[in-house]
Amino acid sequence: MRHGFSSSILVAALLISAPRAGIAQAPAIPRMPDGRPNLQGIWQVLNTAAWDLQDHSARLGVPAGQGVVDGTEIPYQPWAVKRKQENFAARATADPETKGYLPGVPRIMYTPFPFQIFQTPTHVAMTFEYAQGVRIIYTNGTPHPEGPIEWWLGDSRGRWDGDTLVVDVVHFTDQTWLDRAGNFHSEALHLVERYTMTGPDHITYEVTVEDPKVFTRPWKMTMLLYRRKEPNVRLLEYVPGLLMEEEQGELERRKTN
Amino acid sequence: MSTRVTGLLIALGVLLAPPIAAAQTPERPPMIAGCLTENLAFHNCALQKAKTFNPPRTPTGRPNLQGYWRSRLTQAFSVEGVAENHPYVKDPVTPWDVAPPEIVEPADRRIPYQPWAAPIGREGVNFRQYVDPRTTCSTAGVPRLALQDPSQILQPPTDDHVLWLHDDHHQFRVIAMDGRARPGNDVKMWNGFSRGRWDGNTLVIETTNLNGYTWIDDSGNFYTDNARLTERLTMIDPDTIHYEVTLEDPKAYTRPWKAAWALVRDKTPGGYELFEESCREGDRDLRLIREQGFKLYFGAPWRLR
Repeated sequence: MRHGFSSSILVAALLISAPRAGIAQAPAIPRMPDGRPNLQGIWQVLNTAAWDLQDHSARLGVPAGQGVVDGTEIPYQPWAVKRKQENFAARATADPETKGYLPGVPRIMYTPFPFQIFQTPTHVAMTFEYAQGVRIIYTNGTPHPEGPIEWWLGDSRGRWDGDTLVVDVVHFTDQTWLDRAGNFHSEALHLVERYTMTGPDHITYEVTVEDPKVFTRPWKMTMLLYRRKEPNVRLLEYVPGLLMEEEQGELERRKTN
Repeated sequence: MSTRVTGLLIALGVLLAPPIAAAQTPERPPMIAGCLTENLAFHNCALQKAKTFNPPRTPTGRPNLQGYWRSRLTQAFSVEGVAENHPYVKDPVTPWDVAPPEIVEPADRRIPYQPWAAPIGREGVNFRQYVDPRTTCSTAGVPRLALQDPSQILQPPTDDHVLWLHDDHHQFRVIAMDGRARPGNDVKMWNGFSRGRWDGNTLVIETTNLNGYTWIDDSGNFYTDNARLTERLTMIDPDTIHYEVTLEDPKAYTRPWKAAWALVRDKTPGGYELFEESCREGDRDLRLIREQGFKLYFGAPWRLR
């Protein structure tokens, strides 16, 4: 009897969980009228990748954090290891981001500021609170324009692989870093990003980083994007270059008055 | 004068330099969408056309404004127009074209400044002492962004937002269509906070929370952080939007005023896409302009008076 009772519980549990097991393949996520996952909304990382992609202890003004690099190590070519170390030593002024420049991709995805996604059948657009960055991802089947082009946020072409948005990004400059710790790339950077909703409020963001001038092989980062759910959440503005100038203008005014 | 030109030339992308919108006066054909192209004549004609034109629709039945748009019936120097006897018309460095005002109301087609504000705007203190904020790689602001070629409108089928993307310094405007409240008064933004709604076939955008750090045109016309802007975008034929903006600012103006021009669909053969127009990242000239004695703006003339 006892055994039978357990079995019926087990059967009931299976019956209840069966649909859930089915959903594990296709989680309950919001969808667009065309059936594609609806990635729209305001998103933000909750990690420390902007400061350092790899495991690191706390530094003044930098929270400790665990790395987002699959396999921990970034496969630099020997010359590039040295360059990364030099970058790290000089990071307070050498990081292009300190000048208020667009931080590049993928870095703009994990700056600790929100960004908003918009979707139509032919476009996925991302607008960033940080530095008024914009990414327009064409999902209309068009190829990358012919290069050479050097854009700070690259050229993004997307396609749907089932429920995953896959974005191919090329046409970069060599003027952006991957984080404040001096991790870097060249203009030959090629990214393949994968955006997969794992529930209504989470996107798994994976990006494969390829750059034959700097790395010995492609490598991958994985992190989560969290939906900002505050009822009054809105994309505001943080434009570092203008904030620097405003402060400078204020100093000059005080000096002359 | 030459410093002004330098300023205009700053807005270059890193590699692919887009047209220097502010230095150009787009062509003004005699007619657009069956309307004369003097701004007031166009405005009145467009208001009539809008009554009968049935625009293309999105799947949810909204007017479909999506596509790439170019500003027409615009000149960048002054919304008050460029008269034939204006000294810059024959200037060897910045030969501005003679152009009618973009202002369509009030009847004198001048900005109804309060007495203190007129000498700051209208080729005044701003123009003579300050770097055009657009030159410092900020946004052109509203409505000046709509003067800068080209732009793209996206309407997600969820109808909760309209996104207006601009080539100019990778600017964008998120227009919330979901009725959400605006942020508190102390949240100020370069492009403000925009809420939209449909009034028949017209997209109405109300913008508040502006920081007042932008100019309306190259000659230094301005509003303060108290401004409230109402834009109305109405298709009057399949390739033309009648763009109308009402500017209210009880701090600087004696009454609301209106400007109007056209947005015409880009029909570049082979298609068209926006470029990344980085600005700060390629800036070589701001230092030179500053050396000429021009100050950074940040609303100082109205903020600190």
